[in-house]
Amino acid sequence: MKLKALMQKEFRRFFGDPKLIITLILPGILIYFIYSLMGGLIWDRPVSHDYNVLVYGESTAVESLMQSSFGEDLTLTRTDDKDAAVEEVKSGNITALISFSENFDEEVASYDPQSGLPAPQVEIFYRSADDASSSFYTAATALLSAYEGSISNCFDVNLGDTQYDFSSTSEVIMTVLGGLLPFLVVTLIFSSCMSITLESVAGEKERGTLATILVTSAKRSDIALGKVIPLSCIAAIGALSSFLGIALSMPQLMGLDMGGMLVEYAFGDYLLLLGLIVSIVPLIVSIMTAISTYAKSVKEASSFSGVIMIVVMVLSLVSTFVASLGDWVCCIPVLGTVVAVQRILEGGAALLVGLVAIAVNLVVTALFILLTAKMLSSERIMFGK
Amino acid sequence: MQETPIVRAEGLKKTFTLSEKQRKIEKTSQKRKVAVDGLSFSAYPGEIYGLLGPNGAGKTTTLRILSTLIKPDEGDAFVGGCSVLKEGEKVRDKIGFMTSELKLEGFFTPSYLFDFFGAMHGVDKATLAQRKRELFARFGIDRFQEVKVSDLSTGMLQKVSLVVAIVHDPEVVIFDEPTNGLDVLTAKVVTDFLLELKSMGKSILLSTHIFSLVEKLCDRVGVIIDGRMAAEGTLEELCEGKPLEDKFFEIYEGIKGETV
Repeated sequence: MKLKALMQKEFRRFFGDPKLIITLILPGILIYFIYSLMGGLIWDRPVSHDYNVLVYGESTAVESLMQSSFGEDLTLTRTDDKDAAVEEVKSGNITALISFSENFDEEVASYDPQSGLPAPQVEIFYRSADDASSSFYTAATALLSAYEGSISNCFDVNLGDTQYDFSSTSEVIMTVLGGLLPFLVVTLIFSSCMSITLESVAGEKERGTLATILVTSAKRSDIALGKVIPLSCIAAIGALSSFLGIALSMPQLMGLDMGGMLVEYAFGDYLLLLGLIVSIVPLIVSIMTAISTYAKSVKEASSFSGVIMIVVMVLSLVSTFVASLGDWVCCIPVLGTVVAVQRILEGGAALLVGLVAIAVNLVVTALFILLTAKMLSSERIMFGK
Repeated sequence: MQETPIVRAEGLKKTFTLSEKQRKIEKTSQKRKVAVDGLSFSAYPGEIYGLLGPNGAGKTTTLRILSTLIKPDEGDAFVGGCSVLKEGEKVRDKIGFMTSELKLEGFFTPSYLFDFFGAMHGVDKATLAQRKRELFARFGIDRFQEVKVSDLSTGMLQKVSLVVAIVHDPEVVIFDEPTNGLDVLTAKVVTDFLLELKSMGKSILLSTHIFSLVEKLCDRVGVIIDGRMAAEGTLEELCEGKPLEDKFFEIYEGIKGETV
């Protein structure tokens, strides 16, 4: 009954304040919109323009290459008046002007780089401020560089019809997710837990409202549990909001297909992933609760949390940068969870590692709850000046 | 009246370590300060017992030991026969403790906090509802019961703190400086209520440095100076026909050897 009342109080404190709900859910919504917008800007940029290009001089080879590359978007018109054509480009009436030096194709065919003579020239007049003009310039220079490379070709790399890369697109996606998501998930869960727990525990201690509860006959372990359980639920909502924000916007940010991402994982993978996330939330909340109970003020608790955050972030990054970590790492809190999440996302064998990591999370959570209960009984910690 | 004491302190001793900052404030080089030094006293059922003493005498420390917030270095105290050292939870159910140190969460309403602290003491819902009606009406809180605590006036907040402290109908009410910081009207409400609690058979232990409050309320008084019990008895026994204030300074000068 006392534990129930303590838990209800935390939920009521949180859900009774619309500002707190908004600050918890807002990061996820913002992440979704910002990442989607960024992805949209990167990937959805219009790629087709009508290129109206004047040609001065002649190069059958380059012109046919361009025509086949740009297709119907490109209209090449020959001109004999270079100066007038340059003016046309300046005024923005045409996309660009390509000027070939005299007898360009023949000169190119017979040119010897060892001779020391000036090479045949192509000039492209364009306006970088104009989207179409700039885009044509970029594509045309890339095309010309490739053409130049093919003329003086010495060897080719992977130019045959054979399949060289045996990774499917989905495998690439899984590798990217495996490297990035565990770190993001742990960081988001941590920041979500931190903001709520510091206010609720260190804040209550600083304001003297925790002492009022300590004068009642409620067990110290109930008071500790009455903080950790509801705060974990609340932090999980915040973490879920941020996670959904990332997960839903990730395909758009990376220009990938969401459906393709989802079907790569089995139902069991999702269950294990859920178990890992659900178990790491109370772990972090219980650590933060212990720190907040120990600290004299919210300010002091914040500075302690900064150190813990660095440790947690390092642990969540270790597996990304250190190859071939043994299965024993699943016994290390946080790191074990990150490795398990990584293995699930990369499609590796994660069941045993994941289950051990969940068990470790729960055991360490229980230890921190006991530590908090012990600290709540300590007059030096609770009432020391 | 001299039956089994409801509150009994036996040789309580409490020492605090002074931080460098505290040593500077108190202008001392000693690293430890004896706040309570072998204090013993007894309060009996149905009486108001006052701990009278100057600031820093050890009154608040004694009350904090009795309320189980801190532990004595030596000695023990018993409330309703339960040891504060060994039976903390039982002691906390027998007492209602009021001090400025204990605050109420400003976000909640008096009504919610009353229910919450009632649940913390294991009071059943029906009893809680009845006590809420009675106490809220008695203190005029009923009109403000759904107003957030942070929006209440200081006087109303003190009344809410009072009713929350006695939500579980405790045998013993412990008050640290009950009228400190209150306006005259609220102070009267509080002192009247203490007398009412006494008439209901409750035992009250309070600390104060206000002579008039002791004269008005207390059946027996313990004068604490430097953590020790300097004198104890009923007001008549203690004062020997003199005003309490004069008698107090006589005791103080006798112990400290200096004129105030």
